[in-house]
Amino acid sequence: MIPEPLLHRQLIVVTGKGGVGKSVVTAALARGLARRGRRALALEIDPRENLHQLFDAPPSGGEVIEVGPRLYLQNLKPTAVVDWVVDQKVPIGLVRKRVKASPIYQRFAEGAPGLQEMAVIGHALRLVRGDDDSAPAIDTVVLDAPATGHGIYLLTAPKLFAEAIGTGPFADLARQGADFVDDPEACSLVIVTLAEEMPVQEALELRDGLTERFGRGPALLVVNGLYPPLPDDLPDDDLHALWRRRRQVNARELARLDDRWDGPRIDLPLLPIDDGPALVETLDAQLDHPDGPEDSP
Amino acid sequence: MSRAHFDLTQPDPPLIVCIGSGGVGKTTLAASLGLVSARAGIDTLVMTFDPSLRLKDALGVGDAAQGKEAVAVDVDAPGVLHASLLDARATFDRLVARYAPDDAARERILTNRYYNHLAGHLGGILEYMAVERLYEVARTGRYQRIILDTPPTRQAIDFLEAPRRVTQFLDSGALKIALRAWFDEEDGHLKAAGSRRFGLIGRRLESFLDGLIGLQLLRDMSEFFRAFEPLFDGFRGRAEKVRALLESRDALFVLVTGPGEARIPDTLFFARRLLEAGYRVGPIVVNRVHPEVAAPAPPSADAVPDPALADGLELFRWLGASHRRGLEELRRLLPAEQALLALPVEQDEPTDLGALSALGASIQTQLVGSR
Repeated sequence: MIPEPLLHRQLIVVTGKGGVGKSVVTAALARGLARRGRRALALEIDPRENLHQLFDAPPSGGEVIEVGPRLYLQNLKPTAVVDWVVDQKVPIGLVRKRVKASPIYQRFAEGAPGLQEMAVIGHALRLVRGDDDSAPAIDTVVLDAPATGHGIYLLTAPKLFAEAIGTGPFADLARQGADFVDDPEACSLVIVTLAEEMPVQEALELRDGLTERFGRGPALLVVNGLYPPLPDDLPDDDLHALWRRRRQVNARELARLDDRWDGPRIDLPLLPIDDGPALVETLDAQLDHPDGPEDSP
Repeated sequence: MSRAHFDLTQPDPPLIVCIGSGGVGKTTLAASLGLVSARAGIDTLVMTFDPSLRLKDALGVGDAAQGKEAVAVDVDAPGVLHASLLDARATFDRLVARYAPDDAARERILTNRYYNHLAGHLGGILEYMAVERLYEVARTGRYQRIILDTPPTRQAIDFLEAPRRVTQFLDSGALKIALRAWFDEEDGHLKAAGSRRFGLIGRRLESFLDGLIGLQLLRDMSEFFRAFEPLFDGFRGRAEKVRALLESRDALFVLVTGPGEARIPDTLFFARRLLEAGYRVGPIVVNRVHPEVAAPAPPSADAVPDPALADGLELFRWLGASHRRGLEELRRLLPAEQALLALPVEQDEPTDLGALSALGASIQTQLVGSR
């Protein structure tokens, strides 16, 4: 069951180690929130668009597109947000052009540490506040964030950035972003993992890092891709041995989580489904049912 | 052209770079290639970023080894096998220390606020530091083979572009000049806005950049570049040598990927980029392939159907079939001479030396056998 507090958040950052199924969980979560009445937007910041395939939609091309009832999708280029700030603040076209063409600005836009991350948070904030006239009203942005290390940086970047820059529109945006991320009622982090050693290790370290910096842990841990439990008395051929062993690894890591993770957790099975949208639909249903096969309290 | 570009038991290639997206098993593979090399009498160093605890234990690079250059792996082989854990920030700091003209310059850089933000987070720094370290060790000639496990990146291609990006970054002399023009050399205060060279538009531009980016950051950046300037030539020279090394015949790239059809576009994209850019591409390794499962035997008349068993078997049939289709599709789309290795999923993730050896041996057999 999606924890109740997540139904009231404005930004949900979904992170985890590479290859654990972050995108699918992002899509299922956005879909689940939309079904519960939230206007939800799944936000992707990968330069190569993938998320649309999970909604049976065309590539968004940077725009906010509708992919279902109250359900939206966007592939965001962070530099577009940075350029947008310039467009807002520099009224004269010729100067605007020169600003964007100047080497200081270009290096700044591409390379200033934390700027892109800050821009992503700032963009989410604008969407949920309805500051972006070209976009529909959005209640929750579900962000398919980069892999773990970068995920926490995404949340700390606005603060670092606000510290490095004293004044000006980027500093204002950074401070607003930092306040947004700091607000436990507005912003939550969801970690996705597999029940394998490395991803679980990273999830635990991320939880500790987050608690240290923000004084609160992730709102939810999603354990994805679990092999099903074995029936008893199976012959010990190669296939059953593989199944048994995979399940044992899963069970070992689930036990480690039982021991060391006291926050909300949802367990999701590995499913034999090729079709992306069908998989998202099935996982969304799993998120919904408290009596799911792997669900935990 | 033979499909096998190399034989792990021969000293060529002296450099192997394991590359691929996060979570596909690069580190495990790098370790297993290292074992095969050492067993063949080749003195080998495996450089890793992010091994699991078990793999750290197996290689002996746990916390005790932190800060050491490299540790000897306890393996009974004619060649030595060393392993090291990379730390990007430490490598960067070491470079600064080496190229700084004096202690004062070094301190100025290491304590600069912009450096402290940049050193960890500028796009590509971690990747660049990996190749930088590779170059550093390669130059000592201490090892006959170095195997580099690359840092986890969202896009595997980021790794290769790191030296070019760093060179470009350092080459942006326009930036240095532009930044310096903003400040008086002595007191670090912003110069009068009415610079002769810029004219009216230029002055507005300056004032908008001030307003946009902020004085403090510009000052930090300016200070950083001024402090860094004496290092630029040495640094750029290194970045170019590092790039030349990666582009040479000495460096062989092993692209590691996961099974399943969803991975194909990424794998193909990256393989093509490597091939088109003229890199020496070794085998593409598809890791953790599930075995194919035969259709179920018809149930005997008195058997009670077990839904859990049926679901489990369907899952494994689906995994096997999906991975086979993925492999076939990849084979069809890759050039015929491109070697493609499929490594079966193991019951246990290979984390001890025995299992790593077995994995390495299986790779070697496939490589040599496919000739």
